[in-house]
Amino acid sequence: MLAALSVANLKSFVRDRAALFWTLAFPVVFVILFGTIFSGSSPQYELGWVDQDGGATAKALREAFVANAPIELTDGTFEESKSRMLSGDVDGILVIPKGLQAVIDASATGQHPDPVEITVITDPSRSNTSLALQQIAAGLVMAANLHLSGTAPLLTVRPDSLQTNQLNNVSYFVPSILAMALMQLGVFASIPLVQQREKLILKRLNATPLPRWAFVGSNVAVRLVIAAVQTALILGIGVVLLHVQIQGDPLLIAGVVLIGALTFTSIGYVIASFARTEEAANGITSVVQFPLMFLSGIFFPLEILPTWLKTIATAMPLTYLGDALRQTMVGGAPFVPLWVDFAVLAGWLVVTLGISARFFRWQ
Amino acid sequence: MLGRARDEAVIVVEDVYKAYGDVKAVDGVSFQVAKGEIFGLLGPNGAGKTTTMEMIEGLHAPDAGELRVLDMDVRRSATAIKSRVGVQLQTAALYPQLTVTELLSLFATFYTRRRPIDQLLEDLELGEKRDAQTKNLSGGQRQRLSVALALVNDPEVVFLDEPTTGLDPAARQGLWNVVRRMKGEGRTILMTTHYMEEAEALCDRLAIMDHGRILDSGTVDELIGRRFRERGVHFGRAGAPSKDKLEALPAVSRVVYEEDEVVLYTSDVPATIGALLELTGRARTEPADLMIRRASLEDVFLELTGRALRD
Repeated sequence: MLAALSVANLKSFVRDRAALFWTLAFPVVFVILFGTIFSGSSPQYELGWVDQDGGATAKALREAFVANAPIELTDGTFEESKSRMLSGDVDGILVIPKGLQAVIDASATGQHPDPVEITVITDPSRSNTSLALQQIAAGLVMAANLHLSGTAPLLTVRPDSLQTNQLNNVSYFVPSILAMALMQLGVFASIPLVQQREKLILKRLNATPLPRWAFVGSNVAVRLVIAAVQTALILGIGVVLLHVQIQGDPLLIAGVVLIGALTFTSIGYVIASFARTEEAANGITSVVQFPLMFLSGIFFPLEILPTWLKTIATAMPLTYLGDALRQTMVGGAPFVPLWVDFAVLAGWLVVTLGISARFFRWQ
Repeated sequence: MLGRARDEAVIVVEDVYKAYGDVKAVDGVSFQVAKGEIFGLLGPNGAGKTTTMEMIEGLHAPDAGELRVLDMDVRRSATAIKSRVGVQLQTAALYPQLTVTELLSLFATFYTRRRPIDQLLEDLELGEKRDAQTKNLSGGQRQRLSVALALVNDPEVVFLDEPTTGLDPAARQGLWNVVRRMKGEGRTILMTTHYMEEAEALCDRLAIMDHGRILDSGTVDELIGRRFRERGVHFGRAGAPSKDKLEALPAVSRVVYEEDEVVLYTSDVPATIGALLELTGRARTEPADLMIRRASLEDVFLELTGRALRD
């Protein structure tokens, strides 16, 4: 009976193209879209290279730039490079002045000529790019200085990363999108419920000996099956296409997905308790899901929000689902300890269950 | 009938009230349905028929009164009753994306006692549509499916709420046959309708409802006989004898002129017609379109409420 009703609900769901799109295709598209936008690893800069000297050192410097920095160089005269920069083809210009080689040669013979100025032209209105280019140029020139003066470097910097605390964008977003998908799956549970009440399917079922727990149980079971499919899809895409490393305990992840799906489905029941028509349910669902989504820190770290927004976000269940998923899946820095995430989600579950039990109408 | 022993009654409704806000939907209704009979609730929309029936089905709780089905209290034994009755709701409620067979099989899982799906499909002529999704069914097919759903558990009591509303005459006849077959199988049927012909064609007994009350109940003959002992002798108005001559005919109590007919109400049809023919024969004419009509349920309803049922 429970199984038959679950299968019937699942069939109805699968045969409803719109439901299928919103719960499965939409998050997938979202993941791929965000993944592509944010996975452009480190940015690539394009620079105009103006070599007014033409000596061997200038050529060596050019090679060092290309080899050691995420930089693509386009050769040209100063005027050509300037017009390229103005039209946005390059991000900046490096000018190697005439006389560079002469200074190097003089230095090699023990003289102490005035240093040569290598000019970096950037657009200060693009502060990030400007700063990055100046630093790259300074760093490379410094290295060249050391090399030319024959001094062995005493200090070097070894670039490294600690995946666990500084998540790259994709690793941050994949759990967020899973959290979003689970939230939508849950709150959208209100729509078929209200539809079934409007079409008197609930009333008709109420005229059979089917117990109510079996009806609710089958609906929740179907939501959980879909949640499992969503999780597999989103994680699969994250791992295969976006190379996100999933490193947590699968059982723990499953536990987080479970309580998340249950909590938001329960919120869906609350919506269905107060929405009389399908249109109303659609409206309320949108009104509920947008603040849930954008005030919850699943798309940006809570730290960057103004205090008042942070206070709101701290109350949102999605904040905790996102946090729990991030902690268990990619080892993100915890916003709160994992047990707090579970406790907050369980709290929302109990409260919303109570509200639905009190206000849900079958006809 | 009213004197029927209570332990024979499959459905007992006693002094039941239900109000929605200020509206008294059901205002003190009592009746009993005996095993194996078709009992009809007849009345216009909004008379309280559906509310009464849905309270018996356990879908709404009455404000006051007693409801018993199969010797069980509806409030206390709702689930036990639901497993032994079949319900067809006025608006066929279906899962649009499931096929006919899937839906029947699904409902079958709710019950321990089941009828074979194939037999239901055959009885309700749904065999051709067995694999069609219910959203693609015609009105008549949907209605038949709705009735089929009410029969999946081989119920002892069947509730049919306006089962033929919106059907064409052929489909209506087909459904009437289905209802008659149910009775033949020994089931007790409680149905609502606002069609006089349906009530006359199907119901062993019926109750006429209006404004939440039962105005009268009994067999069709009883309902008519209680207030219309006379028959109407109808004939064309053109060339009819004068009113005082007609009033003087034997056994005639009233003479009524309708649009193009004269109606003589009489307690003795042969005497009245014999004298009428003698009268017209003397004038070397004969009454055009002569017809004898007994009163109908329509007349009963008009008499009871002062208005026609089909408004």
